[in-house]
Amino acid sequence: MRKEYREYHFDRMVQSIIHFASLAYDGTPKEAFGMFRYAPRFREAIETILKTGEPGVLLLKMIDKYLIEVLTAHERGKKIALCTFNFSPGVLKPLDVVPICLEPVTTLGVMMWLRGLGEYLNYCCEIGFTETSCSAQRGALGAYLAGLGVKPDFVLCNSIGVCDTNATAFNFAAEYLDLPFYQLNAPPLLTDERSQKYHRQDFRGLISFAEEQTGKKLDVDLLREVIIETDKQDMIMCEIEDLMRLVPSPVPGIFNVFMYSAKYIYGGSKEATDVMASMLEVAKRNASEGRAGTTSGKEDARAFAVYVDHYSAQLRPWSWLDSKNISHLGCMMNGFWPVHAPYAEENLKEGTYIMDSTNEDTMIDSLADQMSRMPMVKQIRGPYDDPHQWLSDTMASIRTYKPDFCMYTGTIGCRNTWGAIKILARDTEKMGIPTLIIFGDAFDHRITSWESMRDKIDEFLTVRGILK
Amino acid sequence: MLNEFSEVAKTLSNRFIQQWKDDGKQVVGFMCSYVPEEIICAAGLLPFRMRGIGASSTSIADTYFGPVICSFPKCILQLAGEGKYDFLDGIILIPGCDSIRRIDECWRKAAEESHGKFPPFHLYYGVPHKLTDYSLEWFVAETRKLVESLERHFGRKITPEDLTHAIKIYNQGRILLTRLDELRAGENVPISGADATAVIISAGVMPRDAYNRLLEELLQKLSRSTNGMTGKKRLLLAGSIIDDIDLVRLIEASGGIVVADTLCFGSRSYVDLVEEDGDPLVAIARRYLSHKLCPRMFGSYKERLEFMKQRVRQARVDAVILQNIRFCDMHGSENSLYERDLEAMGIPCLKIEREYGPLVEEGRIKMRVDAFMESLNT
Repeated sequence: MRKEYREYHFDRMVQSIIHFASLAYDGTPKEAFGMFRYAPRFREAIETILKTGEPGVLLLKMIDKYLIEVLTAHERGKKIALCTFNFSPGVLKPLDVVPICLEPVTTLGVMMWLRGLGEYLNYCCEIGFTETSCSAQRGALGAYLAGLGVKPDFVLCNSIGVCDTNATAFNFAAEYLDLPFYQLNAPPLLTDERSQKYHRQDFRGLISFAEEQTGKKLDVDLLREVIIETDKQDMIMCEIEDLMRLVPSPVPGIFNVFMYSAKYIYGGSKEATDVMASMLEVAKRNASEGRAGTTSGKEDARAFAVYVDHYSAQLRPWSWLDSKNISHLGCMMNGFWPVHAPYAEENLKEGTYIMDSTNEDTMIDSLADQMSRMPMVKQIRGPYDDPHQWLSDTMASIRTYKPDFCMYTGTIGCRNTWGAIKILARDTEKMGIPTLIIFGDAFDHRITSWESMRDKIDEFLTVRGILK
Repeated sequence: MLNEFSEVAKTLSNRFIQQWKDDGKQVVGFMCSYVPEEIICAAGLLPFRMRGIGASSTSIADTYFGPVICSFPKCILQLAGEGKYDFLDGIILIPGCDSIRRIDECWRKAAEESHGKFPPFHLYYGVPHKLTDYSLEWFVAETRKLVESLERHFGRKITPEDLTHAIKIYNQGRILLTRLDELRAGENVPISGADATAVIISAGVMPRDAYNRLLEELLQKLSRSTNGMTGKKRLLLAGSIIDDIDLVRLIEASGGIVVADTLCFGSRSYVDLVEEDGDPLVAIARRYLSHKLCPRMFGSYKERLEFMKQRVRQARVDAVILQNIRFCDMHGSENSLYERDLEAMGIPCLKIEREYGPLVEEGRIKMRVDAFMESLNT
């Protein structure tokens, strides 16, 4: 890692950008957008977020608050857990633990910085990661391994049995930093009694582990608050997703990434609920006016990403789709599977979860069920065409949102989805949905530049007659 | 006799399999050491550890698999697509790692499109990544399902006695292989690493009772041997799978001798025994799930490091070669931790990334190993 990179605190850098961006809208829109010319390196990403109005501002304020919580956790006597993104932070609040959600922090870095997180990605390889390992972890993790961020106290991983390269990164971090490690492990099946029991026992193990690390007991009152808030969030999220079924979709494409960011960072907390409620308002307003969620209010095509979104390149993929009047209808990262989700059709209901606040046991079971259905944990734990897995979930999303085309982009570390995407794409094509597989890396623009990916998508849309 | 093992290890099929098939018996393939061979054997079937040797392209496999996938499962799928696994009557696949697990759907799709080249029996067998009381309970149930599936498809009841008998045979094989390790650990090494690798690989591709007999004879011969190899740098091989004896030969051509390993096709497959008391099915499940020597068992690095150190001490190893197949992040990343910890103990390590398959990178690997050996000798 270059010397100058070692001179800056990573989390503080990310937080300061978000902080000042979140303040930008406290003045007038004219002042805010006038200010952007002085921030050429962050401009595109911040502008794309703030263009959405209140939801964007609330999102930035929420992220800012989260990063301050991370930065000040130790001085407030709280323990910090290094967590996978697909980890409901709700459970950590009643355990008085602050999570560093690794992939969302990587995402912030690659979204905001023109140069991306190359130095941090490379640092992981310098100390021993393979260069083919997943960039989603390597980005922010490089900073933590180099001692340039806050120091986590322990590691919690929810990707064992789901994604080896993700799990390997967390395992490596635990060994390298000599931190206690707890893994939630997903068996290949989800809904049978045996697997459900496994998940619930495994989750109770996580609570015991965290209690051991903090020396504090799970706060049941706080747990109830989390359960109630999660339920509220889920209802709002489902309503937004329901609105996405409309043609044109009144939901701005970027709201999908707002939604899952809010869930990953503040699931079960009021901050995320506020962001979602604000998004719902915008979507409802658009719907009542018959407008699409795009800037022009028109919808020329509808897109669904079968895996992740492309986060590098300063959110240009969203602004480009928007400029083409394409409604982005989300990706696998939006597939949380609460019971009211519009895609949870009748035969898929058993793959959903509910928030039951009856007593401590039902609340813990609810969170265990939620955790076992987090994006990726649910869909890619077993054979792709088993019930409740990647194919059935993708098809459910296609039936629900009726996209005109699907896209796949991932990371070069994703053995799991790269191992089955060609087969999945054949299935979606058989359903009549043109599907584009793009070789790129969602967190590392050095693999394939956004411009190159954009041209491929553009060509695909033309060749397949999706955009006239 | 070494030629016999060498012949078996260097070819996909072998005379033992041919004989087995001629006798009207069936063969079930598997790709990962977490598949309990004892159960397949107890069903009167021949468990066959699948390999990708001899694949000269991955054109068929690439039709199904995406890029950035380990070439080991790709080579296996390629061979199957070319009809070279036509002697298999079934296959058991597991989530050993993400590349291995995805051969499940690729295999099924390829089978749909290549009539007759793929075996009729196909089972996905879940193996948890951690050992707890509840994961063991889950795994025992999964193993019962495996038994039932084999019984249903192959029409033969697997009794506790069958399982007990199979456990004894396989434990015996493991004990014999441990004796081979002891001989290799001696001052005068009676067998080269390449030949020892051939002997070990053969365990997975021929009937185990016949194997045990051959190995017993070999061990007697080796223990009487007086012209062992001395004075060479003693190496331990670790990391991703090595089922290619020519790779070991290439490493030894630089002047060292491989006296130990912590490989999946190597010692990891035989260091622990199945308990011979109690419910045999539970004992089998416990042995396989307790097996933490593969990095797929996350959170157990320290136990693996201890195992490595133990092997280094036992075989008086001078240096360790840590290799990983490209896209094998689990071994690749863990090799770096080994390198850090072993070097700190004064054990020199060479960390190398390679491609699976024919020695397409022979020159590069040879140059790296030569330089490493030179550094050991100065």
